[in-house]
Amino acid sequence: MNSSASIPLSPVAAHSCAAAAEDVQAFDLPQRVARYTRFEHDAAGRRIGVSSLRLSGITCAACAMPIELALRGVDGVREASVNAAASRALVRWDAQRTRPSELVRAVRDAGYDAAPDTAIAAREMRRTESRQSLWRFFVAAFCAMQVMMFSTPAYVAGPAGIEPDLKRLLDWGSFVLALPVMLFSAGPFFSGAWRALRSRRIGMDVPVALGIAVSFLASTAAALDPGGPLGSEVYFDSLTMFVAFLLGARALEMRVRHRAAQMLETAMGALPESALRLREDGRAELVDRTQLRPGDRVRVPLGQGFAADGRLIEGETAADESLLTGESAPVSKGHGDEVVAGSVNLLAPVVMRVERTGEDTRHEAIVALMREAQSQRGAASRAAERWAGPFLWAVLALALGAALAWQWVDSQRAAWVAVSVLVVTCPCALSLAAPSALLAAADALARRGVLMRRLESLEPMARITHLFVDKTGTLTAGRSRLVQVQRVSAASGPGDEELLDRAAALAAWSQHPLSKALCEARPWAVAGASHWRSVRERAGEGLEGLDEFGAAWRLGCAAWLARPAGEGEDESACAWFGPAGNAQLRLQFEEALRPDAVSTLDALRREGVRVTLLSGDAPHRVDALAAACAIEAHGGASPAEKLQAVRSAQALGATVAMLGDGINDAAVLAQADVALAMGSGAMLARSQADAVLMGDRLAGVLELRRTARRCMRITRQNLVWAAAYNAVCVPLALAGALPPWAAGAGMAASSLLVMLNALRVRA
Amino acid sequence: MKLEAAHDGPVVYDDTAVRGFALATVLWGVVGMAVGVFIAAQLAWPELGTGIPWLSYGRLRPLHTNAVIFAFGGCALFATSLHVVQRTCQVPLFAPLLARFVFWGWQAVIVAAAITLPLGYTRGKEYAELEWPIGLLIAIVWVAYAVVFFGTVGRRRVRHVYVANWFFGAFILAVALLHIVNGAVMPAGWLKSYSVYAGVQDAMVQWWYGHNAVGFFLTAGFLGMMYYYIPKQAGRPVYSYRLSIVHFWALIFTYMWAGPHHLHYTALPDWAQSIGMVFSLILLAPSWGGMINGVMTLSGAWHKLRDDPILKFLIVSLSFYGMSTFEGPMMSIKTVNALSHYTDWTIGHVHSGALGWVGLISMGSMYYLIPRMFGRTSMYSVRAIDLHFWIATVGIVLYIASMWIAGVMQGLMWRAVNPDGTLVYSFVEGVKATYPFYIVRFIGGLLYLGGMLVMAWNTVMTVSRGRVTQAPVPALAVQQQGA
Amino acid sequence: MEVMYLLVPLSVLAVLAILCVFAWAVGAGQFDDLEGEGLRIFDATDAALDADQADADVRIEKSLNDVAARVPAEIQEKGRFE
Repeated sequence: MNSSASIPLSPVAAHSCAAAAEDVQAFDLPQRVARYTRFEHDAAGRRIGVSSLRLSGITCAACAMPIELALRGVDGVREASVNAAASRALVRWDAQRTRPSELVRAVRDAGYDAAPDTAIAAREMRRTESRQSLWRFFVAAFCAMQVMMFSTPAYVAGPAGIEPDLKRLLDWGSFVLALPVMLFSAGPFFSGAWRALRSRRIGMDVPVALGIAVSFLASTAAALDPGGPLGSEVYFDSLTMFVAFLLGARALEMRVRHRAAQMLETAMGALPESALRLREDGRAELVDRTQLRPGDRVRVPLGQGFAADGRLIEGETAADESLLTGESAPVSKGHGDEVVAGSVNLLAPVVMRVERTGEDTRHEAIVALMREAQSQRGAASRAAERWAGPFLWAVLALALGAALAWQWVDSQRAAWVAVSVLVVTCPCALSLAAPSALLAAADALARRGVLMRRLESLEPMARITHLFVDKTGTLTAGRSRLVQVQRVSAASGPGDEELLDRAAALAAWSQHPLSKALCEARPWAVAGASHWRSVRERAGEGLEGLDEFGAAWRLGCAAWLARPAGEGEDESACAWFGPAGNAQLRLQFEEALRPDAVSTLDALRREGVRVTLLSGDAPHRVDALAAACAIEAHGGASPAEKLQAVRSAQALGATVAMLGDGINDAAVLAQADVALAMGSGAMLARSQADAVLMGDRLAGVLELRRTARRCMRITRQNLVWAAAYNAVCVPLALAGALPPWAAGAGMAASSLLVMLNALRVRA
Repeated sequence: MKLEAAHDGPVVYDDTAVRGFALATVLWGVVGMAVGVFIAAQLAWPELGTGIPWLSYGRLRPLHTNAVIFAFGGCALFATSLHVVQRTCQVPLFAPLLARFVFWGWQAVIVAAAITLPLGYTRGKEYAELEWPIGLLIAIVWVAYAVVFFGTVGRRRVRHVYVANWFFGAFILAVALLHIVNGAVMPAGWLKSYSVYAGVQDAMVQWWYGHNAVGFFLTAGFLGMMYYYIPKQAGRPVYSYRLSIVHFWALIFTYMWAGPHHLHYTALPDWAQSIGMVFSLILLAPSWGGMINGVMTLSGAWHKLRDDPILKFLIVSLSFYGMSTFEGPMMSIKTVNALSHYTDWTIGHVHSGALGWVGLISMGSMYYLIPRMFGRTSMYSVRAIDLHFWIATVGIVLYIASMWIAGVMQGLMWRAVNPDGTLVYSFVEGVKATYPFYIVRFIGGLLYLGGMLVMAWNTVMTVSRGRVTQAPVPALAVQQQGA
Repeated sequence: MEVMYLLVPLSVLAVLAILCVFAWAVGAGQFDDLEGEGLRIFDATDAALDADQADADVRIEKSLNDVAARVPAEIQEKGRFE
């Protein structure tokens, strides 16, 4: 009944900044390291660790820089990349020169915290972070409400006003209630500003912190001494409301971040740490996931995740494969069906035979992709940061200038005008919104089965004018169809149909794709398979079997039936059948198009994208397929020719996307502006694609393009809004026409608006 | 804290006080409403009770308000809060003897009120008329109640505190604060005292108390009831539990400052009146959030309303809640208030909230609770529940419609001025015009009382055919079985 | 309006008290699994119950949830995409 039971924490709770030395050392334990680090070798043969770290204490994109600098400062670190929106760091480090504990130490010294990117510690960190944020927001909002109540009398009092001593009472009440907000809720702003100043930079928090501090101090002074130089106006209400709104916007942003991170954790969480391996005597033993080997039999209870890729050998069930396909509807699994590591057993306990484990599983490949994607910083956020610095300096200068100028005009208002200028400017709009839009887009796409590997490729994706598509495995589903049967011998003996059925009966003995296609075409004939005796199969050649008279018949390639190879024929799609040495039937096969190919390409064409089928396959076949999809064809292309095709298009100003299987066309993919791959198997890990289409759905390209365009559109909207808002409000503030409460409300509302707009990407 | 099983038997819930309060609710409901009908009759036929001091209108009105709010409403709150806290925390009551004291103490308060008020002993402050010895007794009983309630929450077996308990808890603490602050008096005799505040200061404190009493006693407390009994009766969880939490905190935010709207156009400073208006308007949002949450709990199962009269009580009560929490803010707008203040529209508003929201939700909850306190799953006669519902609803409609019309009419008549500045109507002309509406109101109230009598009959039949059973606490039963 | 000298400080104290209560609530994990808690009052954990614990007729709407309802709590806690 206690569904809120917590999962036991890993021994190291990494979010305490005062961690003892042992805590950090624990990060170096080999078993732990393996869970968040991939090892590879560089050109010089040195062992390089690629680690994914989960960060905390990040409040906006500007936080990325100090952490990256800190990490790069560690001796042995080759590369450090931080995505503030996802609170993740990807670090490449020389295994001989440094250790993960050093990395974590460096991050902590910079004033943040880090933990290995494993499920439990991260989830605890997220929970703590989200609680803290809820707590801060509540305190700010509640106190703001009460302070507003105390200040309303002064606003609504008519010409008669309020008695001065009553006003002082209300001001003091406001002061007391503004204290928790200043001391606690606004903490992140002050610590962020301090961090930025310490590294001698301007962060987003600096104007905010300055504005809040000045407002508070000036209001306190006014409350203490109403007749003094700062006047008797207090602005505790604006100050607290402003903090509350800003915290609200950040809480929203944090939720987007957390959801993106949670998806990753879900992927990792569904993979159980241990499995029930069945021994020869039938007894089950509990082993760690990493101890499974291909061929092992594993019992998977109801509700458990599958620990490895394999096949069902006992029982029937349904599995939730949403991680892999984006489809959350359960997939039925019967005897002999493939099951995938990371999917969840939904209906009944089953037994599976392991086929692939560990890094070879699709799950690991996907997880690695997702991790890498989350560590890339979007180009948009990089751009945002580039001009954020100068912008903020300008704001500070303006505020100072305004204060000085107003000293001459009306000294009582000088401080307030400066505060208004500081507070009204909103660069937060960009540093909050752009990465959030990108993350939300990636999140939405992942749900539909498209995994973004490089977030920054969303930008060129929105602009593509040309799409080059590979043939085999991309446009076609890797399955064949029988399309033509030709009698090539004298018409005597059995008729064509009967011959075909016999051929199908023989083909039923083989698992070759063409045999399967033949059986699919003549399903009723498969029952006659038993009429063939002494059937043998020679790989790459064909089948041979004895009929009821003891005569040998063969089914296979031309050479198998002792025919000379045809000119200009594509041997791989053609099979022959007949008595050995005397081919009677010629069977022509064709690859089947993916079910959604025509509709997807049609839609792309209508949206203005030129689609070309670019393949090394025989031109006539390529042309036929392209005609079926109503797209252009470029067949018989060598890799060099493919590269040239892409280059020429780009020279004419096109933005080119290439969709392939990700392996054979590395050079072409690298040349294209956006490289897409159809997801399948372990090839994912070695793929160089910017995005991977899972679940065999070509329609993913369409969704990717549409989402990318929506994302760019929304980011542009936010940019325009931010520019317009600043252009209007800063002059108003300088002119003294914007009281601090309006400035605060404006800034907070603008941030909130931009955040909410960014979230629309998901729609 | 380890809970030992008594007498080697399973650990059971302690429902003695719950049972007592549930039955007392029905009893005091009849009494309080009967007094109400009587004074309504007196307004239409003032000769009633003439010459008998303890039947005079001035003395019986506070008896009516105290009886329906604190006796009927109070016992309903005690019964349901003590029932819900045990079920949602999966523990029996903390300090069960104290719980019994709370029951008998509260009955003593009610009886004392029933004696002193008709005899003319009163502090003259609305909903706080009871003189200081009774006030002291209330404070003691209330502290005991708080100890029992929070003690039970404190030793809960379920980590999460169900939202209903938040509402109950806020209600208990707020009422304690309000009662103590507004009850501060200088005694001048056993049944005589003077408020420590004077003049307009006293008025401010009184209506700070008065409106928050409405807000926390009559709203927060009964919302706690709503958030438990509607899901249970409907068999469906609250529409959005997250919204219910937000609803709670939003209500807490805003309630404290709505009080001055009772004092528009009085000696209270203008700015104080204005903030009363502003915050009363703001209160609209959280109130409606709660209403929507409760009503939408039935989303996808509206057909249940057809056959289940208890659900009818519960859901319809929410619509009256919505109506009253819309009407209230409207009436707190100064321009509207200029028309409505001192008229019968205020009475109409109070009774739409009291009869519609408080009354119906209490009745629905009692219909759920009473059979279960006597070993049954439903009342003796479900058709009688349905009958009660319809009679009560008709009664409410008659009541509030008549009072709306009367109120607006009075307001318009009182403010009508001739071109030369003299009043068009004399006061007594307004009274005469109101007369027929007083009769309609009386009929409405009579119907409402009639419904309550049907409930009383149903209750007696249910109790006589039921028996007191011990209900084991599930979580602890599991523990014991395993031990 | 001298009574404000009573009411205003009283409000401030009330606010601080409420903040403390909220702090406790957040720290005690009261707001961690909100939707699940709404269903808890329908828990029927044991056969020997009193009448008002056993009358639940709760329907969990979506078809996948029907299946998921049979999934143990630990799995559900790890969360799905929604």
